[in-house]
Amino acid sequence: MNFELNEDQQAITESVDRLLAQHAGATRTIELNGHGMYDDALHQLLDESGFSTIARDLASEDGPAGLEAALIVEAVARAGGVVACAAQMLVAPAVQEAAITGPITLCTLDDLKKPVPLRFGAHAKTLLVLGIRDVHVIPLTPEDLKPVRSSFGYPMGRLAKADRFADLNAAGNCLGPNAALAMANWWRLSLAVEAVGTMDAALTHTVGYLKQRRQFGRSIGSFQAIQHRLSLCAIGVEASRWLVREAAYHGAPTEAVAAAAAFTLETADQVFTETHQMSGAIGFTCEFDLHVWSMRLLALRQELGGVGGARRALVEARWGNQP
Amino acid sequence: MEFDWSQEDIQHRRDVQAFLKEELPDNWEEMSQHGPGGDSQAQFSRHFCSRMAERGWLTQHWPSEYGGRDCEPWRHSIVGEEMWSVGEPRGSQYMNVNWIGPAIMNYGSEQQKALHLPKISTGQVLWCQGFSEPEAGSDLVALRTRAEKIDNQYVINGSKIWTSYCNHADFIFLLVRTDPSSSRHRGISVLLVPMDTEGIEVREIPSVVGERYFHEVFFTDVTVPTDVLLGEANNGWNVVNYALQFERIGAARYARAAVTLDKLAELARERGMLEDPIVVDRLGEARALCEAARVLVYKVIDIRAKGLPPTADTQLARVLSTTCDNAIGRLALEIFGQESREYASFADTNFRMAMTAGIAVGATEVQLNLIASRFLELPKE
Repeated sequence: MNFELNEDQQAITESVDRLLAQHAGATRTIELNGHGMYDDALHQLLDESGFSTIARDLASEDGPAGLEAALIVEAVARAGGVVACAAQMLVAPAVQEAAITGPITLCTLDDLKKPVPLRFGAHAKTLLVLGIRDVHVIPLTPEDLKPVRSSFGYPMGRLAKADRFADLNAAGNCLGPNAALAMANWWRLSLAVEAVGTMDAALTHTVGYLKQRRQFGRSIGSFQAIQHRLSLCAIGVEASRWLVREAAYHGAPTEAVAAAAAFTLETADQVFTETHQMSGAIGFTCEFDLHVWSMRLLALRQELGGVGGARRALVEARWGNQP
Repeated sequence: MEFDWSQEDIQHRRDVQAFLKEELPDNWEEMSQHGPGGDSQAQFSRHFCSRMAERGWLTQHWPSEYGGRDCEPWRHSIVGEEMWSVGEPRGSQYMNVNWIGPAIMNYGSEQQKALHLPKISTGQVLWCQGFSEPEAGSDLVALRTRAEKIDNQYVINGSKIWTSYCNHADFIFLLVRTDPSSSRHRGISVLLVPMDTEGIEVREIPSVVGERYFHEVFFTDVTVPTDVLLGEANNGWNVVNYALQFERIGAARYARAAVTLDKLAELARERGMLEDPIVVDRLGEARALCEAARVLVYKVIDIRAKGLPPTADTQLARVLSTTCDNAIGRLALEIFGQESREYASFADTNFRMAMTAGIAVGATEVQLNLIASRFLELPKE
């Protein structure tokens, strides 16, 4: 057991943080979100710097280097990056050895039927569909996609032509049942990884504001009623961080992933609620950065059955839910 | 960063589990229903800890010069998890090995080390902690019990409250005010006092938690030699802070909660309750909470294993660990329903053992204060 980053992990996180400090951040996210745009430049930089393929490049006989990739995804989420890096760095390497063209968007069969707005769904070049037993890898063209306006912090899009996806085997490549389990686990874990980086930034932003903002002649952050609730949020974020990293280290086993996601996505709701409540009216405005992270937390809680889905998966994995 | 147990650690866990299977008597469940402070468990702990000591496991994380084996704290944490999982057969002696011994190693005189450490490392002695007082609960530095130095003796007067394990204890780790003109954290000292000293009286406080759980300890002109002073006079607050860093995650509450939860899930399956989505949701929530508490405790053990100074991670782990223990105690009542109304039934026992978690060793609110100031660096004003 060792909770400290090793030298390689340290170098990776420092390097990606440097890149993100220059090419990402709340101001850029707000600008891109305002136009429903994807950050092609950041996506390209992550590709060129070798971060996008790190899970494959550092893979061992045990599988892709999920922890290193998770550290990068966590950092990108913290910076509010408008890139589909979780699907690219965590999910894709787990389902298929060969690289998959990004941006990638993810959906279930149910998502496809409705069809619901997908994160990065207006810009994706590949759709990964989680079937009951298979994974379908479907190349997308701009005609397949329709942008959807959303309040929830990511560029969203819906699949435009339902008939094009009626026969998934004809629409793209079909991967076997091992890929389906891997996709489900890594997708669920990637939601938790993104939530950790996003919660971290939302909480840090709120704590910084509450140290400065004065009411009743003192800083709001000095009131015990506020301090205790912030402390509870911090406990949730830290526990989420380590659960997620541990699950990524072990290659996303179902039970560990479900526990990490169940706890993290529940904490995401707590962090959303508390950071907005404590920030007051300014917290809802576009000029105040909190929304960059807070609104995303709610979107992350909606995929793959959210908290309830993670809890059901956890009970099934640990105890089996057959009477 | 890596999250694997070593092969030696995995084997050690198996060995400890096999040892427990061998050593715990058939009526252990009945014996442990009043918790580590119960009469039968206290009695059994002397036998059990001696057996652990014979294996070299009781204080294996201590330095070899004090009867240990220089093992990493990880090894000791495995023992803690396995012991709490079955209801802590070490009784109150978990405190001895977790923090009383280490505090004596760090602050004790050679004479004190020679007197106390061999007794602890061979499982021969029971201790209790004399911290809280009627007017000094969460605000511990308000304590009033005083020890007046007269020649080469301390004369102690005052009282302690909520004291667990004292009815069977051989010694008390006693916090007193030695400088009568002092206030708050200054002027406090730690005395290591034999419980059979004349003038000490123990009274049980009946409670809903269980038998022999809470006590008051009265000190009336209790006279002890000054060599019972641990560390320097009036430096007791530092001693206590040092000790509490070990104590706050000393009890592997998440491990016991996880085992309880496994039993609850098994029962829910047997009764067809896993078809109820609400039950499934609650079980999933509770399991995730156990895992979250475990990983935060592991983070603290990692810091300790590296010999780094304690951080606010201890408080983070403490709060989540007690939250988890409480939540699963309450869930047991829901799953067992009316069956839990019977005293010493499975759900009742687990609930009672968990219900004080957020109060003991510093209330949750005190831990949250510390997180706010030390971890989030929020202003006090």
